Amino acid sequence: MNPVLNALRQATIDWRLVLMGMVLAAIAIVFNVLSGGLFLSPENLYNIAQQTAVVGIVATVVVLVIVARHIDLSVGSVMGFVGVLIATLMYTADWHWIEACLAGLAVGIAVSLYQGALTAMLGVPSFVVTLGGLMSFRGAAFLVADGKTQPVNDVFFQRLGGGYDGAIGVTASWLLALLLMLVLVVQTWSRRRANHAYDVPNNPVWLDAAIVLVPVAIVLAFVGAVNAYQIPGKDAPQGIPIPVLIWGAVAISLSFIVNRTRFGRYVFAMGGNPEAAALVGIPVRKVTLMLFALVGVLITLAAMVSIARLNAGTNSLGTSMELYVIAAAVIGGAALSGGSGSILGSVLGALIMQSIDSGMLLLDVPIGVRYVIIGQVLIVAVVFDVVYRRMTGDTA
Amino acid sequence: MNASSPTTPALVEMRAIGKSFGGVQAVDGVSISLYPGEVVALLGHNGAGKSTLMKMLAGAHTVDAGEVRINGSLTYLRSPLDAQRCGIESIYQTLALADNLDAVANLFLGRELLTRWNTLDDHRMDADARKVFSRLNKNFKNVHTPVRRLSGGQRQVVAISRAIYFNARILIMDEPTAALGPEETAMVGNLVRQLKADGVGIFLISHEMHDVFALSDRLAVMKNGKMVGTYRTGDVTEDEVLGMIIAGRQPEGKPQTHTR
Repeated sequence: MNPVLNALRQATIDWRLVLMGMVLAAIAIVFNVLSGGLFLSPENLYNIAQQTAVVGIVATVVVLVIVARHIDLSVGSVMGFVGVLIATLMYTADWHWIEACLAGLAVGIAVSLYQGALTAMLGVPSFVVTLGGLMSFRGAAFLVADGKTQPVNDVFFQRLGGGYDGAIGVTASWLLALLLMLVLVVQTWSRRRANHAYDVPNNPVWLDAAIVLVPVAIVLAFVGAVNAYQIPGKDAPQGIPIPVLIWGAVAISLSFIVNRTRFGRYVFAMGGNPEAAALVGIPVRKVTLMLFALVGVLITLAAMVSIARLNAGTNSLGTSMELYVIAAAVIGGAALSGGSGSILGSVLGALIMQSIDSGMLLLDVPIGVRYVIIGQVLIVAVVFDVVYRRMTGDTA
Repeated sequence: MNASSPTTPALVEMRAIGKSFGGVQAVDGVSISLYPGEVVALLGHNGAGKSTLMKMLAGAHTVDAGEVRINGSLTYLRSPLDAQRCGIESIYQTLALADNLDAVANLFLGRELLTRWNTLDDHRMDADARKVFSRLNKNFKNVHTPVRRLSGGQRQVVAISRAIYFNARILIMDEPTAALGPEETAMVGNLVRQLKADGVGIFLISHEMHDVFALSDRLAVMKNGKMVGTYRTGDVTEDEVLGMIIAGRQPEGKPQTHTR
């Protein structure tokens, strides 16, 4: 057999992710041509990345919820509730932003644990629990400040949302890219060494090099773009927007949890075969509760970014975000039947949706048409998922 | 099989065990014992209570009534982890595999090896798993494919590997050959003999009369949640066993045996 094909077949590469990356690239190129070069301009790329961050942060953890055969429909409402709460504590109660955010975190975790406990301990389907949450916590978001918008004036806090001062500048951006590159190289190198020590066959060098270089090239291209974007009237380019940085950190942390900890493995095992998970002694209830607590943490983080970006907490914050989040997860390859999905997939899924939406906006496509198309993109993703699984024999 | 004196404590001693689900009495006053190096076959119709009884021993179901003694001491098996700590391993009919995970992850599921930073020690698990798998099947190489894509025999190897790797002292095998071809069935048979020689006690749930007579030292028949009787395998004929399974009729003039 052809050695190249053979190596590709044996390597543990997620071809679905590769394909999605190519779809994203194709979308970008098509919109770039149609918009006469506007789509791939530094300004547009900067904005798309920043706009996707809030949905992206929540999608990374909702993927895990879906993997574990649960669902969370309440993420938008809970984010609204926590966001307004933090804004109110800062504006009306005059708390420092750190204190307000910690209080928001406590409430976010409590809300998620409440919903998680109903699901994990009593076995109420999470769909029903969080559907109730979708309504209740939207109401709670209204009650917190009696429906009044709460301005967010803390200049430092506002930077969390990106915008005028919300990026880390050119030097720091390049340094971060360099650091990421170094980590990837060291990681791959140490894996090769360990494989060798345990007599486990390695990928060919060229393949491992490609697996490292492709993401590095993408990161470098992105950093190059945001480092080329200078807001008129400012004397230096922006660099990586802080919301994107937070999103990236969240995605890396959750990938670590999924791949390197028991908790991550148990989430997947529970989704793959709940009965087996219980029979081998996995503490299913505890893992479910921890998962929901993690949702609470990330919703709070997303709420902070969101109110910082809008410079206000309103009772409509995060309305219908659950749909975008779930769509991002599903486009990213999470199967609602559980057991499969990936963090990186949710990142790509969120980017694909936001790119299509922004691209159509650039082309002045009317809002009705945009909704129709975004909805059908979700359908296409699911159809693709079904066909892909049938082809590869993964009837999950 | 009469080497040890009857005073050696039983590996497992289940006395007057009861279990009900809702209003249904699934297991009713059942007693059974297992000695080191012994294979006890457990027979009965579907729904006779065999699997429920064994799930209680595996910690997957709690015991409603009666007591369990492991090596002579009273033991409460509240969870599969409790059972695992007593050296009890199970190979379920459904194999209890997470289909979306690979063979290595499934072998260690619930008992992952960790590095000193409490992260998964994939390299050690990978290396150890390859050793165990190749002991059972020389050709088992695709250890990083999701197990749903493996053959029935390979899936069985993964399930059995758990018992071997974690040094089972007491092994529960629920229909271990039901989904296997002739070659793999022979492999399971050899394994049972090997484990037996190592002093492992084995409960074998099977409908396969041939396996039962070839492998077991004693056999116990259950019907409608109750124990019909426990006999030395050599003392009874296949027809008498079928009579116990179908009609719940004890063979005349045959002594029951509760020690080995």
